[in-house]
Amino acid sequence: MLHPAYVELARSRFLTLLAYRENFWTGIAVYIVYIGAYHFLWQAIYEGREALGGLTPAQMTSYLAVAWMARAFYFNHLDREIAAEIRDGRVAIELIRPYNYLAAKLAAALGEGVFRLVFFALPGMAVACALFPVRLPPAQVWPAFFLALFLSYWVNALVNVLTGLAAFFLLDNSGLMHARRVLVDLFSGLYLPLSFYPAWAREVLGFLPFQAIAYLPNLAFAGGLRGGALARALAVQALWIGVLALAAAALWRVAHRRLAVQGG
Amino acid sequence: MGRALMTEEIVVEAVGLTKEFRKFRSRPGLAGAFADLFARRYQVVRAVDRVDLVVRRGEMVGYLGPNGAGKSTTIRLLAGILVPTSGLLRVNGMVPWRERERFARTIGVVFGQRSQLWYDLAVRESFRLLQRIYRVPEEDFRRQYGFLAEALDLDPLLEVPVRHLSLGQRMRCELAAALLHDPPLLFLDEPTIGLDVVAKRRIRAFLRELNRRRGVTVLLTTHDLGDIEALCERAVILDRGRVIFDGPLAELRSGPGGSLEEVVHAIYQGQLQHGGGERGAASGLR
Amino acid sequence: MAGHLALAAHYLAQHLKARLAYRADLWAGLVSDLASQAASLVFILVVFEHVPALKGWSRDELIFIYGYFLVPFSIFNATSANLWNFAERYVVRGELDRVLTRPLNSLFQVLLETVEVESLLGGLGGVALMAWAGRRLALDVSWADLPLLLALTVGSVLVYNGIFVALASVAFWTDSRSGLIPLVWNLHVYGRYPVEIYDRWLRFLLTWVLPISFTAFYPATYLLDRAAWRSYALATPAVGLAVFALGLLAWNAGLRRYRGAGW
Repeated sequence: MLHPAYVELARSRFLTLLAYRENFWTGIAVYIVYIGAYHFLWQAIYEGREALGGLTPAQMTSYLAVAWMARAFYFNHLDREIAAEIRDGRVAIELIRPYNYLAAKLAAALGEGVFRLVFFALPGMAVACALFPVRLPPAQVWPAFFLALFLSYWVNALVNVLTGLAAFFLLDNSGLMHARRVLVDLFSGLYLPLSFYPAWAREVLGFLPFQAIAYLPNLAFAGGLRGGALARALAVQALWIGVLALAAAALWRVAHRRLAVQGG
Repeated sequence: MGRALMTEEIVVEAVGLTKEFRKFRSRPGLAGAFADLFARRYQVVRAVDRVDLVVRRGEMVGYLGPNGAGKSTTIRLLAGILVPTSGLLRVNGMVPWRERERFARTIGVVFGQRSQLWYDLAVRESFRLLQRIYRVPEEDFRRQYGFLAEALDLDPLLEVPVRHLSLGQRMRCELAAALLHDPPLLFLDEPTIGLDVVAKRRIRAFLRELNRRRGVTVLLTTHDLGDIEALCERAVILDRGRVIFDGPLAELRSGPGGSLEEVVHAIYQGQLQHGGGERGAASGLR
Repeated sequence: MAGHLALAAHYLAQHLKARLAYRADLWAGLVSDLASQAASLVFILVVFEHVPALKGWSRDELIFIYGYFLVPFSIFNATSANLWNFAERYVVRGELDRVLTRPLNSLFQVLLETVEVESLLGGLGGVALMAWAGRRLALDVSWADLPLLLALTVGSVLVYNGIFVALASVAFWTDSRSGLIPLVWNLHVYGRYPVEIYDRWLRFLLTWVLPISFTAFYPATYLLDRAAWRSYALATPAVGLAVFALGLLAWNAGLRRYRGAGW
């Protein structure tokens, strides 16, 4: 099932980024800047309170640190890449290649994800732990956390694929892509755990895929998800991956047909 | 009578003009950026080496030399873009870099490889912006534009965005842009590069007219000896930053080989032979 | 000076024309600006569902500070595009040549050669937020405050621009973009919250070393009538001038080292 071409695509993306690994130090520093800003902000917001939104101050700092560093891992420009290839017609060339276009894109993005995990997220997390009072979860949580993180990667990648493919149908989808980035950050719980939102908003967000990108794995890390709740969270993520993958495949089929008719 | 007097007037005067570059190698990344703040390493390269040059009003001087000889650097020094490392320099009675903004009003500059115009704007808007930047009074602007429009056939191009111009059309507009404020001195850095024969002839004819009828002094660098033969009576040849020839074109032509191209080729070759290793090392730094 | 302002207005009009020709870009810029402002507002609104105040600052006061923050920040963003890519565009590719052949201050030209007009609309949003929050706080604002408010805003813009001119000038020495540029840009988040939430060292850093606090919090407290920060608020224009002077110093020193592209 795993075509060797996909492995090769992932590997070559990894190696390409390796040549630029120095650039990621700036990225780590920027993320630390944000963790710091929100750490101080939240400490002031708590101001002696035991818990807010179901999290203690210590849990909140852990949540923040892992939220930003998880973002360092799952973040990519898959949507921009796809949109650019659609607009300049490279996608038509991709169609003659003996692989599935979307799978190839996702494979390369996974190569990027592994790179980001090793050279951005993990060292960044080490720095964050050194600078801020981050509490690491007990050993038995780690496997579930990494599983959740891996799933969140796919949810985010598929959302990106969908916004990227929109370039087939919209004259210009860059506004959509910008808005997507901000909305994902806001509604996935990067700045603000979703438990803080008012009940009605939580209900709405519960029906959206964004919580599966950040909130659920981060909560698992910060110790806010145990036992049955954790299993349920993983199931929600898996469900979203299925739904989004189906949507992406359907959108791609329509686009593909259109491409065949118009000739790119 | 006035003309004879004018030719005596010195427009460019350089004595021992030298420009050295300190080549610096930066370290990549954030850690490198921090490290660079405290410790740096340099390598000194002399691009222009003790150049003496006098240009009088009304002259058209061709500036020649192999790639990397320091032609563009000299032009940039004369135009006030770069600050010399040492030597004396007066252009239009000013020290170019020291009084840069005042000095800039008295020169026009065209870089063949680079546009002066605003890429996204129509030609007309670029001209209007330049009018404001150079604070050209409306009446003077109209008069000068009238002259340029006729000589360069600009009117059909006015409403076209710069990015849609062909290279030849763009070059005509570049020349006009450099001359809207009616400067007495014009620097041209490879003005005909990449142009077809028709466009080249047109530009050369215009420059001749500008020089003969308007008395504009012109200093141009080029690799196209046709430009020099069509325009200049005097040539300056530069190699590795040094002036190796400065005299009438006729003197060059009378050298061995007969044609200008043969002579210039021989000069370049001769210089390349006894300094080849050094040159290679110097350009390797780039 | 008046000539420069008129010229700046003319530049701006030309940019607007050019930008309108690419309406899609304009919309994309607008949407992303609006979305990120909405996100910041949502953050404040949601947090204050849970707490009545943040170190003694109310929700409306924080929104007012955020509104102020947007004004200088968007002016800075609109005119700083060329500082971001200064190293590649002007130093390595040598576009500074063209700038230096013109009878105008070189920094003025570089700042105005690219104006992201759509960013300025964020500033209008900021003014609206200040008006909304100010009304709810029943702030006593008179017409006499306007000149001072203008001076504060100019001071804040000068702080940003001074810092970034200095950082961009590093390219004259290194021929490459400083890795510090994105790092320092992102520090803007620290400016828009009360400095009381930071520890002593960070407060010192944000006030005296990289005076980001003068870009939003300090000047905004002037209209919020907080006596404790009044002198800081009033110092904003002076701090702005000082930081910008340092930036200019770096710029002018760098110009002497400029070498252009090619020989």
